[in-house]
Amino acid sequence: MEPIIKVTGLKKSFKKKEAVKGLDFEVQEGEIFGFLGPNGAGKSTTINMICTMLAPSEGSIIINGYDVNRQKDKVRESIGIIFQENTLDKKLTADENLKLHCRFYKVPKEKREQRIQEVLEIVDLVNERKQRVETFSGGMKRRLEIARGLLHYPRVLFLDEPTVGLDPQTRAHLWEYILRLKEKEGITMFLTTHYLDEAEISDRVAIMDQGRIIAIDSPKALKSELGGDIIELETENNVKAEEEISRRFPEAEVTLQDETMYVKVPDSDAFVATIIKELTAPVTRLNIRRPTLNDVFLAFTGRKIGEAEEQGKEGS
Amino acid sequence: MEGILAIWQRDLTKFFRDKARLFGSFTMPILFLLIFGGGMSGTMESMMSAGLGEEAGNFNYVEFVFPGIVAMTLLMTSVFSALSIIEDKDFGYMKEILVSPISRVSIAVGKMAGAATVATIQGVILFLLIPLLGLSYDFTALLQVIPFMFLFACALSGLGLLFASVIRSTQGFQMTVQILVMPMIFLSGALFPVNNMPAWMDVIVKVNPVTYGVDVMKKIMIDVETLSPAVIEAMGLNITVFGRQVTILEEILFILGFAAVLVLLATISFRRANA
Repeated sequence: MEPIIKVTGLKKSFKKKEAVKGLDFEVQEGEIFGFLGPNGAGKSTTINMICTMLAPSEGSIIINGYDVNRQKDKVRESIGIIFQENTLDKKLTADENLKLHCRFYKVPKEKREQRIQEVLEIVDLVNERKQRVETFSGGMKRRLEIARGLLHYPRVLFLDEPTVGLDPQTRAHLWEYILRLKEKEGITMFLTTHYLDEAEISDRVAIMDQGRIIAIDSPKALKSELGGDIIELETENNVKAEEEISRRFPEAEVTLQDETMYVKVPDSDAFVATIIKELTAPVTRLNIRRPTLNDVFLAFTGRKIGEAEEQGKEGS
Repeated sequence: MEGILAIWQRDLTKFFRDKARLFGSFTMPILFLLIFGGGMSGTMESMMSAGLGEEAGNFNYVEFVFPGIVAMTLLMTSVFSALSIIEDKDFGYMKEILVSPISRVSIAVGKMAGAATVATIQGVILFLLIPLLGLSYDFTALLQVIPFMFLFACALSGLGLLFASVIRSTQGFQMTVQILVMPMIFLSGALFPVNNMPAWMDVIVKVNPVTYGVDVMKKIMIDVETLSPAVIEAMGLNITVFGRQVTILEEILFILGFAAVLVLLATISFRRANA
């Protein structure tokens, strides 16, 4: 099957800095594709290029069979976008915002009413239809934006950090809506986020760092690639403990981050039983868990996502 | 076309919803009408009709200045309406417009038409003051001038679009517009004739598009045929460019061309925009 998005050799340079340094990837129809990475990794630049908002310096992007450089209008008709920041007209009502969108995207007149009703039902805003957007809460505005993004039946829905600035409860709700959408409409979703737990709902994840994709696969495959469990270990003498672990378990991978050692072993049970007995430095904290995408990021870059963000800020 | 209408309608809806702006926008022209039409009309009249001798009685300053003040209202409202573009950028809505498949020309035309419609409505509302000022214009002349007012307002809002596309901040836009709008009014013949200007100022008068807009409005509204050449001269209604007197048709074509060029420039700026 033809991929719905095909990106080849994509590069973007701004005056001083090369923000995107050559990306190649494909997104299949119907999947949730997660784009993950710290702020400043080049995610937004990439998404802006895919959405026709920014001209690439090099490379090509094909969406739904249309070339982003040459068939902008066709591409624009094929996609729906929920931007990081709010782009609703707050002085207008929900209904007016949706109607305008229908007109911008040439939704046939006789179908507008039915579609508006439909998308409002998906995001549970049917009763708020006649209210002005300025009276909406942050979560309601986001939902309305999602509804608006769906109005013209896009083939791909882009969600750029859709939950930024929302409280945890609203965030959880929003993901329910998004998953419901995938089930109901089978729509392809392209999602950027720097919340790692949110990226877990993706069918496939591309991890981006410093303008490059460093890994691309399903969250499960990425995590199993790490192999086994992660043991977070804190001792009174981490350096010594690290030495002892390496001697006793040559197959274990140890990463030292601040005060915590992250030890990756194929069989955590045997490992824990042994080190508790044998480590000379007393253990102050021990935690065994399944690997998360954060561990994947850590494994690929040697940094946690949060740290990468801070470095990004210093650099910019 | 649908896109143009949508953008146009949105700006109109927002204009009528914003009551403060609706009323606020009338204060300036009414203030000017009070000052020039009421308070200063005697002084202005005697100054301007000084050379007319016995014909001085045929010179009515209020009749002269009223179209000028309507033109001024058009100018202010049209140019300031372009502020909506900067607001749309600030509040993110411009992104919604720019990622949609609407052609960039439609965005420019829609925005221009929206601002021009608002301005024309305001100008027409000022017509209600005509009886209060003791004036009487020919009713058909008033109907004839409305389409031109719209065209003129289109050209002026195009100017606003151009400013809005280069200036990013609301404050910067207001500053620039204020600095530009005042000389454009004073050097247009809207409030007093501009026929005896020093050479360098005359150049500004002749390149100022408002000059021709005001002139056309005055020629349509004021019953020029019944006036003697001397009065027409005193009112400054005989603009000459390179020693040749311009006709009303040439003036209308100039405004039309001006509007077209500005739509083109605005389209280019929307094409480049990465809001």
